[in-house]
This record gives sequence, C-alpha cells and structure tokens, in this order.
Amino acid sequence: MTDTTGAAPPSVRALVRQRRRRAASRFWRQYRAHRAGLVGLAGLALFALVALTAPLTVGSDVAGVTDAPGRPLEGPTAEFPLGTDRFGRDLLGLLVWGSRVSLLVGLLAAALSVVIGALVGITAGHFKGAYATVIMRVTDWFLVMPALVLAVALAAVMPRSLGTVILAIGVTSWPTTARLVRAQTLAVESRPYIERAKALGGGHGHIMTRHVLPNVMPLVLAQTTLMVSASILTEATLAFLGVGDPTVVSWGGMLQDAREAGAVSAGDWWYLVPPGIAIAGVALAFTLCGRAVESVLNPRLGVAR
Amino acid sequence: MSTRDQHGRGRLRLPAPRPRTARLAAALALAAGLTAPLAPAAGEARAADDDGKRVLTVAVAQSVDSLSPFLATRLVSTSIHRLTYEYLTDYDVKDARAIPGLATEWAPSADKLTWTYTIRSDAAWSDGRKVTAEDAAWTFNTMMTDPDAATANGSFVTNFEKVTAPSPTELVIRLKKPQATMTALDVPILPRHVWEKVGDYSEFNNDKDFPVVGSGPFVLTDYKPDSYVRLEANKNFWRGAPEFDELVFKYYKDGDAAVAALQKGEVSFVGNLTPAQAEALGNQENIKVNDAPGRRFLALAVNPGARARNGEEFGDGHASLRDQRVRHALFLAVDRKTLVDRVFRGHAVEGEGYIPPRFSTYYWEPSPDQELAHDPAEANRLLDEAGYRRNGDGRRVGEDGEPLTYRVLCHATDPNDKAVGQYLKEWWGELGIGMDLECLDNVSDPWLAGEYDLAFDGWSVNPDPDFVLSIHTCAALPATPRDTGATDNFICDKKYDDLYARQLAEYDPAKRADLVKQAVSRLYDLGYMNVMAYPNAVEAYRTDQIASITTMPEQAGNIYGQDGYWSWWSAEPAASAGSSGGTGSTGVVIGIVAGVVVLAGVGGFLAMRRRATAEDRE
Repeated sequence: MTDTTGAAPPSVRALVRQRRRRAASRFWRQYRAHRAGLVGLAGLALFALVALTAPLTVGSDVAGVTDAPGRPLEGPTAEFPLGTDRFGRDLLGLLVWGSRVSLLVGLLAAALSVVIGALVGITAGHFKGAYATVIMRVTDWFLVMPALVLAVALAAVMPRSLGTVILAIGVTSWPTTARLVRAQTLAVESRPYIERAKALGGGHGHIMTRHVLPNVMPLVLAQTTLMVSASILTEATLAFLGVGDPTVVSWGGMLQDAREAGAVSAGDWWYLVPPGIAIAGVALAFTLCGRAVESVLNPRLGVAR
Repeated sequence: MSTRDQHGRGRLRLPAPRPRTARLAAALALAAGLTAPLAPAAGEARAADDDGKRVLTVAVAQSVDSLSPFLATRLVSTSIHRLTYEYLTDYDVKDARAIPGLATEWAPSADKLTWTYTIRSDAAWSDGRKVTAEDAAWTFNTMMTDPDAATANGSFVTNFEKVTAPSPTELVIRLKKPQATMTALDVPILPRHVWEKVGDYSEFNNDKDFPVVGSGPFVLTDYKPDSYVRLEANKNFWRGAPEFDELVFKYYKDGDAAVAALQKGEVSFVGNLTPAQAEALGNQENIKVNDAPGRRFLALAVNPGARARNGEEFGDGHASLRDQRVRHALFLAVDRKTLVDRVFRGHAVEGEGYIPPRFSTYYWEPSPDQELAHDPAEANRLLDEAGYRRNGDGRRVGEDGEPLTYRVLCHATDPNDKAVGQYLKEWWGELGIGMDLECLDNVSDPWLAGEYDLAFDGWSVNPDPDFVLSIHTCAALPATPRDTGATDNFICDKKYDDLYARQLAEYDPAKRADLVKQAVSRLYDLGYMNVMAYPNAVEAYRTDQIASITTMPEQAGNIYGQDGYWSWWSAEPAASAGSSGGTGSTGVVIGIVAGVVVLAGVGGFLAMRRRATAEDRE
C-alpha cells in the first residue's frame, strides 16, 4: 500500500483509479435519486437473472416439441402455471427460455446500431466538407426510410437466422445515434483545447479517440440503453411478422405461434398475454434506465434537476 | 383441372405480374384480427344488404393467380371457374360419378378412339347467346394448338387428335390412344365469340371486362386483387338459378380476422380453420362447424435432382437424396400419428398413399411389409447401410466429410408447415441429420429452379385422379431448364410412367382402379412423395345466414373447394336474419381486462413521473 502521508506522490495510475472511483460513486449517487431509474434497474437485474439462469431452471429441453409434456393449448393449471402452447410445451418455461433470445438480440442489435451510429457521427463531425455532406445525406436517407419496412426487406432476402435479425435491426436503426453523436462532436470540437491539441500535433485519430470519443461517450451510453428497448420491440415485431427463424423460441415468435394457432379467436389468453407483458416489461425497464442515465450524464438536464 | 391448395401452394410462374401476399397487408389484417374481437359484437347478421339483395360472403385467403381458365391452377381460381363456366360433365354430388353438364350424353366408338358428346340446347352464355358444340370445340382446339392456352389443363388434350363440331349440338373428339378421363374432362368451356378476340393467352387474365361472359350458375361481375371477387347469380342457368343473388369472396389474409368477421356476421363462411378456432366456434350459437374428410394431402416432396426433358440437369438438390435408402430413412423417422394428434389435433387422417381415403375407388394402402411405419431404429440402420456414418459430434456425414443438412421449403402462410417442420427438425436431429426450415411467402422461385432438398407439398385431389398422377410423369418435366413444366417435383420414373399410361388407356373402371393403385404403390416405394396426413376440411358457416348448404360428398364432405358448384349453387338463405349479439364475449372480457390493466399501469407510471418531476414544473 502506498503511504498517503509520505512525500512520495501517488502514481498516475493510482490517481486515475481514484478519480474514476469518485466519478462512479458520484454517478451512482445521482442515479439513486431517480426512483424510476432504480425500478428499471431492478427490473433489468431480474430479467438478466432469469435469462442467465434459464439453462439451470428450465433447460433447452423446454423448447423441444417431440417430448412436450402437456396436451396442446391447455389452460393454466398447477402443473403448467401459464398453460401450454400449440405443441403442448410449458409456456412458463418457454417464456423464460425466450427471454434469452429477446435480450441477446436486443443487446447485440443495439450495440451494432450504436457502434455504426457513433462511427458515422464522429467521423462526420470531425471531417467536415464533402465526406460529411455525403455521409449525412446517407444518414438522412436511412432516417426517412421506415425502419421496419427496411428491416423486413433485409431479413426477407437474407438466410433466416438470429444473425440476420440482429443485422437487420442494427443497420436500420443507427441514423438517430449518428445525428446525435455528430451534433455532440461538433460541439466538442469547437472547444479551444481541441485546437490546442491540433497545434501540439495531434492527428485525426488522436483527436477523435482521445478527445472526442470520451466526451460523446456519456451520450452514446444513454443512447445504447434506450436503443436496447427499441431493438427488443423490433425483434418481437419481426418475429411476430414471421420473419425470424420459426424454430427459435423468442417472445415475438411465441406471439406469432399463438396467432397462427388461432389463439386470438379461441380466447386462449394465456398464450398471448405473458409474452406481450414480458416484451413490454423489459422494454420499459431499459427505457427507465436509459432516461435516468441520460439525465445524470447530460449536463443540461442534470442542471435542471 | 388442377387444384392447388388453399394456402398459396400454387407455384405457377406466370408472365403477367400477379399479386403476392404482402407481409404488410398481413400485418394490417393481423392488427384488425387482434382488435376485432375487442369491439362489441353488435350488428345483425348481414345475409341481405340494403336493397334486399341476398348476399353470401365467403372469407378466402389464397390470392387469385389468374382468372383465365387457360392459366389458373390455384384452388380459389379454379373454384371460381367452376362457378362461372360450365364443363362438359359434372361430378355427382353424392358419389362423384360423371353426370351431364353441358353434354347430355356421351359415347365412345367401338375402337374407343372417337367420343361423341351431345351438347344441351338449353344452355346460354350470360350475354344471351346460345352455348354450342362450336364453343367446346374451339376451347379444346385452342388448347391443342396454342401452348400458352395449355398451361393449366394441357394434360387433358395432349392425347387429342382432332376436335370437331359437326352441328351445334354435337361434339366429336378423335383420340390418338384410348383415354379414360373422357367423362371427367375438367376443362371450363369458354365462349368462342369473346375469347377468339384475345391475342396472347399468356398475358390475358380475364379480369378487365366485367361482367365476364360465362355459362355457370354465377357471373363474375367484379374483382380486385387480394380484396374481393364478386359474382352475381345467373338467373337463366339451365340447372336452375342459385338462391342467393350475389356471392362475394372477400379476402382475409389472417385466419383470426376471418373468424372474427364470421362471429360478427360480416361473412357467412370461413374455411381452413385451425383446431383451436374450430373448437371455439363449435360452442357458439348460430354457427355450424363442418369437419369432414378432405380431398387434400400434406406431403413431403423430395427433390430428386431437377432436370428437363432435354436431359439437362439443374438446381442444387442434395445428392444423398438420390439414394432411396436415405429417402426412406427420412420418412421412417416421421411419426405420422403424433402429427395428426398434435398438429392437427385429430382433424386429419394419417397419411398412407398418394390418394386420400375419401376416394375409395382409387385409395391404396401399403401392405404391412411395404409400409414405412415410424421406426427410427430402421432409419438409423438404413443410413448406416447407405454409408452415412456418424462423426464425433453424432452428425451423419457424407463421403465428402460434410455433415448432412437438408433445406426444407415451407409455406410461410401455412402454420401447419411450420409446426410439422419443427417436429421433423427434432426427429431428423435424432438421426444425426440437420435441417433448415426455409419458410417463404413465395416458394415458386426456388421450387421451379430445383433449389431445395425437400419441400412441403399438397394437392386437392379430383374424383378422377388422372391429373394428380400426371404431374409425376417424365412428360410433365419442363422442356428445357428455362421452361416451366407441369411437373410437381421433377419425378421421372420409367415404371411409374408405364403404369400411368396404362391406366389412362384403360376403359374398364375396375381394371383402371387397379392400375392406379399400382402406380400409387410405385410412387410410395420411390419415396419422392411422402404423404404425412390427409387434413380434414374444417370450415364454419352462420346458420342465421345460410339455412342449408350441400357438402360434397353429401354425407360428410367439404363445402369450400368442391369439384363442382354444388355448395354455393345450393345454398339457401336463412328466412330471417337474426341478431348475432353475444358472440365473441370471451374476447371482449379479455380485451376489457387487458385494457384496464394497461390503463392502470400507465396511470400509475404517469402519477409517479408527475411526483418525480414536481419540483421542475412551473
């Protein structure tokens, strides 16, 4: 342990660590003040726990149709608390198992979308001129295209797999992030210290990664959390429209199965309501968290609160 | 007449653009389906519209491929042609024997090669002109000389040598070889005075000039793709006018939306119900569910390696499937009993031969030692024998070391395809064989190009099985890889062709039935067409709108997609259109409960937000 009372100055690394720890605790203190954010976080933790422990609690056998334990479309009973689906599978087990796909697709698609958006936004904000004009027109084009139609078209022409769905969501939902990040980049780059860095010989790469990126990072982080809920909804929509892989269990796919089995007209609510509530719940949790993070990190919102 | 199944199994490639199932339309219909049960089930049954016209509305899902009888092969289109054009002979509604249609009498000559038909003199086209033998002769001659006109029903006339009309009431057909289907020519007879003005039959879809001149019990008066088909009763129909004044086929791309419309009385008839829907509708008053043996089969077709008549091979079907042992192994792993029990929930019969049991004359069952009964152990043995051993991961690999994985084409519009596909994936997975379920809205392109390994396939079978047998002959293969043949899945087998030709030339019904059974048996052994189930016709209609309707066969038969116009022609309107209130109450209750829950949630959330931001507000 370093001697804090001694004359030896603390090392740079220790200083950085200390600063980060302080920043994190400050962030947490401010975040704690947002009750909705806490609720969202608790919800997220619950969903994550359910999804991560699914192999232990239900196992992949729950998705098997050949050894389904019940009769098709049974109502809720003690054995099957949420009834059974059209194959006689336990719907509670499917709901738990389906959370893995929904969360995985949601997170990966949001990450992909935000990475593309941040890359486009930072480069467009940094390199002005022709490059920025062209790339921002492309962004505008993606922005005005109805994302769902584009995603359906993409998913329809590519082979049916989870990767396709992730890609389809990711490449259609990045323009908002790109616009936001570009605006922030422009704001950061107009600050005097960027000019100083340039004068000291900082190249494009140095400025973008060492000065701009850390400054847009809070925005990107908040945007990611918000994007996850949008991605989960889109994934459910795509699966519901039958674009996903029909043999993969996901919440949207469960709704699609229910519709195809005629559960709506048969009034089999236990087939429709739980996946719907689950989708709404997880999307809400991410939104609450995202809003809270946003208001903590965004200086303007932070001052107002 | 070819009869492709309800759910867009049609794979005909047409030069003219035709409507496709749009996913968005499906989504919209779906949205309607989700909201419809929540709306109060008000409104009285609508068997009559405002001007006192009695309208029969039928919900359909399959898109029309073409309204030209020369081109149409889908069930919905051929059903409309049954209603709008009279054929030489009809099928009796009780036992499906040939009965007079346009022809009142028919007889072959002693050498079996000349058939003479007497055409009735009391039949008229809807524009007032008389139907003559000349119209029939022109229809057949056009199909014989113009390949475009032979697209749909060409198989009936390939053996014709000459067709003449010596007098307005006499039609003479001269054959090259004897042909057993002469009393079952499923070809709509067209009005020569209208159709000879048409230039290119491959482009003409018969959907521009309304009303369309016809001779059947109904006249086609309006059509909007994927929206509706409107038919008016032909008051001068020679067999008697239909009871309803108008027949409308209305499009519901979503099954639940159609059922909701039936519950509200917006449509009088819905076909192709799922087991859950049938169960729910069965408990409701004013609705009768008809569950009868169907005339369809659901099969697993194997791509035997697509090829054309000129010997050229194309497509990319898996080479291992040319081994009969592999095909048998795949089918041995299929537990048909489970499929009928779980997927169809009893509304189907286990599949055996190619022809459904309803057609008892031609129905064939495999003998116990021939039958490919569910036997995974035997399937494993056959695969081992064929040289496809398991590797370290338990996957079976071919000689090239690649694990076996098959692509299975499925119809995205058919829920049963997807459900059966999930079972196949697991059953074959246990054999060590991988499977990719490729569900498409439009399977035509990969299908015609031979770019698939296996595919879900289904046909509605006519009382005379000639057509469904003809699509597996070598003669049905496309002429070159760029052409479209009548073939179903590129089967070409010498022995089968021989049996097919012999049954076609056999006039003795008993002997012909025996030959048909031999052909079906051969098809079964080949393992290219594996019938998994014969789905029932599960349909429902409103008894407060339709008082009575004839099924075909009359004892336990289907209503939609009959081999004739019997159902809609015979349908009688109910005397009084009573109120249909109280239907769909379960949906309403659920809707209200869900709505309250959502509102409470939103309200709570808003209240929380208000409190949280109280200090920010001015």
